[in-house]
Amino acid sequence: MEMIKTVGLHKSFGALHVLTGVNQTIEKGEVVSIIGPSGGGKSTFLRCLNLLEMPEQGQIFFEGTEITGNPAPGQPAPKRRKGAEPVDIDIHRQKMGMVFQNFNVFPHLTVAENITLAPVMLKKKTQAQADDMAKELLNRVGLLEKYDERPGNLSGGQKQRLAIVRALAMEPDVMLFDEPTSALDPEMVGEVLDVIKGLVDSGMTSVIVTHEMGFAREVSDRVLFMAEGNILEQGSPDQVFNHPAHPRLQDFLRKVL
Amino acid sequence: MNFEYFWPNMVKVWTGYWQDIIFNGLRITLQFAAVAVLMGVLLGTIVAILKMSRSKIVRFLITVYIEVIRGTPILLQLFIFVFALPQVLPALNLTTPQWTAVALSINSSAYVSEIIRSGIQSVDKGQTEAARSLGLSSGQAMLRIILPQAVRNILPTLGNEFIMMIKETSLASTFFIGDLMTKYKTIQGATYIAFETLLIIGLIYLCITYPLSKLVGWFEKKMSDDSGSGKKRIKHATYESGDLEGVGGGGEPNADLKATHTARDVTVRGRLGGFGLKK
Repeated sequence: MEMIKTVGLHKSFGALHVLTGVNQTIEKGEVVSIIGPSGGGKSTFLRCLNLLEMPEQGQIFFEGTEITGNPAPGQPAPKRRKGAEPVDIDIHRQKMGMVFQNFNVFPHLTVAENITLAPVMLKKKTQAQADDMAKELLNRVGLLEKYDERPGNLSGGQKQRLAIVRALAMEPDVMLFDEPTSALDPEMVGEVLDVIKGLVDSGMTSVIVTHEMGFAREVSDRVLFMAEGNILEQGSPDQVFNHPAHPRLQDFLRKVL
Repeated sequence: MNFEYFWPNMVKVWTGYWQDIIFNGLRITLQFAAVAVLMGVLLGTIVAILKMSRSKIVRFLITVYIEVIRGTPILLQLFIFVFALPQVLPALNLTTPQWTAVALSINSSAYVSEIIRSGIQSVDKGQTEAARSLGLSSGQAMLRIILPQAVRNILPTLGNEFIMMIKETSLASTFFIGDLMTKYKTIQGATYIAFETLLIIGLIYLCITYPLSKLVGWFEKKMSDDSGSGKKRIKHATYESGDLEGVGGGGEPNADLKATHTARDVTVRGRLGGFGLKK
């Protein structure tokens, strides 16, 4: 079953054409890693999937529903107030967990509140249910003893583990990871990758933008190579890492491996 | 100047007028400053929200409002409100002190609105993104995630605004509103003692503003210590430096915040007194 499908995504920042018509389909249960050079459009593509970036052109189908409000090719543009978001995006975002490079944990809330805020606010759970779930999630990632602390007392790796379970608390259908280990001290990368690995092993559909080639090779069902605003090559980890066809990918792998 | 009479004059002014200075002059100064800042916060919040409006026209009008008020002397504004407006709007029937309070409030609102706006904007964009990615609406994200963090930046700066206003009210003594500076004029008129009176009045201003600015400084430090942002964030230099894809900057978040904070004080006030600004 298709979880996410993009059709001809275009995104520009000013004069810079960052995405040049990206087509991609991510199946339910699939683990897809996106690798490629900086500025190649990996993160922008990921951020388009939950509309943190609004693509100017092209469509995104999430679980069968078009969420951008952009017209299909050849169709007239629907009338929409300038700058307004398609009305239902908040609902869709509840089903797409996102983990950021810079963690973005909420510093003014306790660790537990970071997790329970959204589920309670969006009426998915009562406070008591959410508290129980927070305990269980924190236990799973080894942070239970930090329950009442502020994120300011956590290490980078702990913050990122918190950010992951914060997203999981919304019980999403898909998890989007935007370079989840790039801002970490080297010795903390492992603990975060372990949590992500546990998650994908449990069958969570995941899209992971990463510079950790070993990790991408290990956990992915499929690897996408993005450069110059599009997916230049994709395939199984074995194909992409051991038998790269595109010269741009060969060049990239030579530099990073 | 003859210093022979310095201490006798000091004693004479203080013993003769200290009650009037403290219980009338100082009280009225503090009242005007408090009213101006409180009204400034109310009006300023509205102005700040309008400044972030989607409508270009609204944004333009608000920018004009802020720039006109910040770009003209407060004394000129006081003259307009006290002398010109009562003629234009006689129906309002306000007294001179009331018009003065209105003028100070309007003036304060322009500065406070910028304090609030930059306080909101100094919260890392990643916070909004994280909140929105969880499914919160923009209003919910603002209320529960952004504003609570913005308040930490806003409160100390509002304290500075209050200190500033305490000093600005002295300009309204032009209209004999009874504040500390008015007291100088009346005492000087009655006793012909100018220098010693000024000295005493000046010391009273200092006695209020200095502890207040220390308090604001302490509060500011406490806020940034509690802000809970990580102390250490290593970013791999090879990845994304200056890259469009980077979500917010890396580096040390507290340092960023501090930098915008100080820069804000400079740009927002544009009229720095001796106090109310750290360093």
